[in-house]
Amino acid sequence: MPHEVAIIGAGQTHHARRRVDVDQVGLAREAVQRALDDANMTIADIDSVIVATGPVLFAAVNQPEKWLVDAIGAHGKPVMRITSGGGTGFAGAVGAFYQVASGVAEKVLVVAYDKLSEGALQYSISTLYDPFWGRDFAVGIMGFSAAYWRARMDVLGHSEEAAALVSVKNRRNAILNPYAHMKKEVTVEDVLNSKPLAWPIKFLDVPPISDGAAAAIFARGDLAGKVGAPPAFVRGIAYVAEAENGPERRLLQSEPLQLAARQAYRMAGIVNPRREFDVVELQEPYSYFELSYYEGLGLCAPGGAAELVGSGATQMDGDIPVNPSGGCMGANPIGAVGLVRLIEAAWQVTGRAGDHQIDGARSALVQSGGGWANLRGAAVLSA
Amino acid sequence: MVLPVSRVGVAACGQTVLSPSWRSAQHIELIYDAVRLTLVGTPFTIADVDFVIDCGSDVLDGRSISNCGFLGAMGAHHKEESRVEDDGLFGVFYAWQKILSGHSDVGLVIAYSKPSESDVDMFWATQTEPFFQRPVGLDNVVASALQAQQYLERTGTSHEAFASVAAHDWANAASNPRVDVERAPTEAEIAASAETAPPLTEATISRYVDGAAATLLVSERIARKLRLDPVWILGMGSAMDEHMLGAREPGVLAGCVNAGDSAFRIAQRDRAEVDLVEVSAPSAAGELMALEALGLAADGEGASLFADSGVVVNPSGGALPADPLVATGLIRFDEAALQLFGTAGGVQVDDPRVALVHGSSGVGMQNTCVALLGVD
Repeated sequence: MPHEVAIIGAGQTHHARRRVDVDQVGLAREAVQRALDDANMTIADIDSVIVATGPVLFAAVNQPEKWLVDAIGAHGKPVMRITSGGGTGFAGAVGAFYQVASGVAEKVLVVAYDKLSEGALQYSISTLYDPFWGRDFAVGIMGFSAAYWRARMDVLGHSEEAAALVSVKNRRNAILNPYAHMKKEVTVEDVLNSKPLAWPIKFLDVPPISDGAAAAIFARGDLAGKVGAPPAFVRGIAYVAEAENGPERRLLQSEPLQLAARQAYRMAGIVNPRREFDVVELQEPYSYFELSYYEGLGLCAPGGAAELVGSGATQMDGDIPVNPSGGCMGANPIGAVGLVRLIEAAWQVTGRAGDHQIDGARSALVQSGGGWANLRGAAVLSA
Repeated sequence: MVLPVSRVGVAACGQTVLSPSWRSAQHIELIYDAVRLTLVGTPFTIADVDFVIDCGSDVLDGRSISNCGFLGAMGAHHKEESRVEDDGLFGVFYAWQKILSGHSDVGLVIAYSKPSESDVDMFWATQTEPFFQRPVGLDNVVASALQAQQYLERTGTSHEAFASVAAHDWANAASNPRVDVERAPTEAEIAASAETAPPLTEATISRYVDGAAATLLVSERIARKLRLDPVWILGMGSAMDEHMLGAREPGVLAGCVNAGDSAFRIAQRDRAEVDLVEVSAPSAAGELMALEALGLAADGEGASLFADSGVVVNPSGGALPADPLVATGLIRFDEAALQLFGTAGGVQVDDPRVALVHGSSGVGMQNTCVALLGVD
């Protein structure tokens, strides 16, 4: 039988547009220290470390875990780096889950970060495309992402207003999150009137670019409650890839997300996600992706996302609140975001989310993703 | 440590020939070939594979999230996939844990690189800490040479031992059908090769080659169900050393010691049981240091293993004649598995039962992963 796995300590930096007072590893160390303090541990208590960062071309240090090891005092331990584009923080957590579930390690530290102020983000992302057939046409990831939205507008009739509601909701929620750095309320009109970047994506549909780090300690279930902070158990977790190139994909639904959700729900015994989850934290790289994820995660029927967000159900006081932390709209240190979402969910189910706590939350759904909209993960957490 | 009772087995492995330049094939073709050669002749198709772990490098590939470009060739479509951006043996480490957990039964591990198309100097230089180490031009050759000098000084080994190690490895590689070797250099030629960074010479540092490797891991349950006779992973371990070269113990691989100890402890095996070892090192000095850190020879006595010692070192030739960078550790793993299957071809050792596999990465072998393999 697999061992149960719980998050028993977590921390994140106060994310910022640009941190000039620390280097990359100093930034990561801040989050590690906060996670260790949260669990009342030192690095000596940790069996194994997983480092998760965005693509190394973002920050011009190759295999940065080799440098980070000195900053967090982890030498002599297993240190492994997992990378998966924007979903990296989540993919690192998946790795930690299996290290613990296998019994090979009892306490695994995952640290995820990106210091995006130091690199040429969209340029780096553009190198993702095929060097012969794709790169000449690529302009970062935004034009590619716009095609997904346009498909939903054409086929489902989902309006720009529906996506704007997501941006308005998440930006308002971020005001209550002490770790967020974008704290400005906007209206639907503000979003619709903001500068088009790659239509229908407009400036306020896009999250900020941030420097930030997150760290969490995953421990064997039988240790939970005996050591560390109040445990949030990982009941199900999955991360699935789609190999096909853009033109061959279904743009309306993310197949890898549907598969990941199915797998995570099966592990956790979830049959009715809308009813069983108290809170959802998901990674929305653009406003309208949150709508698509509602459907992929089964929070509403396929095509029903515009109606769901319009009903207010995903607001803080709705029946299925999504991103009470503000999601990416509050802070977007890309490589860290997947882990930030897991941490926010862990704090929600243990009643430690502070001002943006959803009353009585016991069960949370987490989504994350990366690559070029082709790597998608889902996790189920509960107290 | 409480490990589940079941074990993880190697069902099959496959690789491309390792060649200084695979000019006729793209990355995607090398990867596809490694996967195809792994699955062919097994009762498995790609549909039976639960998950894929791959090891490659964005910097070598010149491409962000480069795994995304190769997911189809890797057979990862609609499967769980993760990129471990490190030596291929770390991919095995991850997959081993995933199957041990009981959540998965069949996993494919893939590692590849194509240094002939890559800026290898940049690959190493950008790994160094950017403020103090990088500006002075520290890279892997310089770090390896500094360690080699420290090793010679500390142990009193003669630098001629390096040429002897390299000659042994090249001779083995020349008999290995999976390595492209026109003619193995003699010990005298190696000793006379041009100095790169003293005490290392051109022929005592590793030769970069292009190639891809894959390995198919299965749970004991699946192995029994399909009546397979796998090579078993008896134990694994890994540990990372400090980054700043000056902070490390001179001429010693402290992380490698920890990694080896973990693998033997989990396996509950003894060093005396090891019949062969496949070790990865960027230089002949690194190879000796690794063999000693793994506990196969006493400190400073690594060279004695190459005489008739009871342990066969690098029957495949090891990494000196053929170093596909991030794929090296998985090649070592596959070569050791082939030995235990008894299908290693021209380099087959007589009836081995237990093999030790070593993978390393980072400037000056900062990171280590170790696996112990055996047959029933």
